[in-house]
Amino acid sequence: MIITRRIAVRIALVIVATVLLEVSFFSYLSFFGTTPDIVPLVVVALGLLGGALVGAVCGFAIGLLLDSVLLQTLGVSALVLLSVGFLAGRYREGTEISNSLIPPLLAGALTFCAAAGFAAIQLMLGVHTPVSLLVLREIFVKGLLAVVLAVPIYPVIRIVLRSAIVDDSAGRRRARSPITPGARRAGRVRGRRMRRPAGVS
Amino acid sequence: MYRKQVRRRRAVLVVLIVAALVLLSTQFSESQGGPLHSMQRAVASVFAPLEEGATRALKPARDLINWVDETFQARGQNSDLHSQVQQLRTQLATAQGAEGENQQLRKLLGLDRQGTLAGYKPVTARVIGRSPTVWYSTVTIDPGSGSGIQIDDPVVSGDGLVGRITDVTHGSAEVTLITDDRSSVSARVLPSGPEGIAEPEVGNPSDLLLDFIDKNQTVHQGQMVVTAGWSNGAISSAFPPGIPIGEVSDATVGEQQIYQRVHVQPFADIRGLDFVQVATGGPPRPGVPR
Repeated sequence: MIITRRIAVRIALVIVATVLLEVSFFSYLSFFGTTPDIVPLVVVALGLLGGALVGAVCGFAIGLLLDSVLLQTLGVSALVLLSVGFLAGRYREGTEISNSLIPPLLAGALTFCAAAGFAAIQLMLGVHTPVSLLVLREIFVKGLLAVVLAVPIYPVIRIVLRSAIVDDSAGRRRARSPITPGARRAGRVRGRRMRRPAGVS
Repeated sequence: MYRKQVRRRRAVLVVLIVAALVLLSTQFSESQGGPLHSMQRAVASVFAPLEEGATRALKPARDLINWVDETFQARGQNSDLHSQVQQLRTQLATAQGAEGENQQLRKLLGLDRQGTLAGYKPVTARVIGRSPTVWYSTVTIDPGSGSGIQIDDPVVSGDGLVGRITDVTHGSAEVTLITDDRSSVSARVLPSGPEGIAEPEVGNPSDLLLDFIDKNQTVHQGQMVVTAGWSNGAISSAFPPGIPIGEVSDATVGEQQIYQRVHVQPFADIRGLDFVQVATGGPPRPGVPR
């Protein structure tokens, strides 16, 4: 991903919009007794599109913002989400995404890991009351919901950051531009000649 | 070139991990008025109007999605409610007789109050944000210290006790719900009166555990649980007495245990809160900061 000032602003807007949507919309919904969490899957999408460094930095920023807005313990979400973003980015750098099912499945798996990591940190920090086994169901269902939610969310983020993605812009260039210099002009001239009505010289 | 990139990436990763750990440990060790807490409150204050706007704007969409889920649940609840209505009719007849008697006694004792929150100034608040994890059972509400809300003020909904204020900015406040692991409420089972501590079970917001109830005391399913509101002169509960918390859903006694394990189902719909009431002001309670 090529990070220009414009792209950085877009990423910042994606981060703010994600946090607002999570605390004001998704956290009010309940599916199978579990609240869907779009934050890890947005971090996964940013990591997949931008690489390990972008994923880690965005994960840290979004975690810090989430903890601040909800007045939670600072650093917990940041630590979990930066790991998620880094892992997603490393996956992209090491493997080619050949199948459109890979982003949702990866989002599901990493959301599962994020929820499990969050639970582990909370348990390490100390929980004063009994912990229900329903926590395991919560972690599992969160992962499943992330798979479903990633199907619309990943393409949206891809569209927002399209101009910065190296693969996309290179692909578009390949599709539009000719192989040899000057051939584009030659092609245009050829096209004009073809469109000319018969009998007109 | 590639090596340089890898080194740079590793350095950034290490810096971020260290920063997260430093933030975590610093916030644990510093007081409520420390710089990190202040910074967090400042960010929360900036975001509060945005959250409020987003919550209002997205309410129709939320309601539509929740309506589908609730319709399935309502079918199952319908038959249960029919049988409960019959039981409640019988109880109502008894209760109406007792109410008249109660009013006369209150007058006699000079305790004629309008309700359990008499003496408090209720402030109605809109829920503008909530934590998506079960590990932080908290909600953010839109009025803050500007409306007279203070830390430790009790928060109720139309159904019963919701939680208490644990952090406050000028325009917003954080409510720690009774289902948060940091919450414990001294409670009393009606009408017999055994008292215990209502604590949550993390991960299960529809269940509270009432601990420290002697195994020899009889507790039945369906009995109401209210706040005890105790005070020993030096310290007191943060909650006034008599606020409904929930009803007993199960009571089991282990042979090796001294105390009963009483499960309480909260009256308040903790996951569906839109509006709550904060009881501000009120009589001074020893040990509770004002």
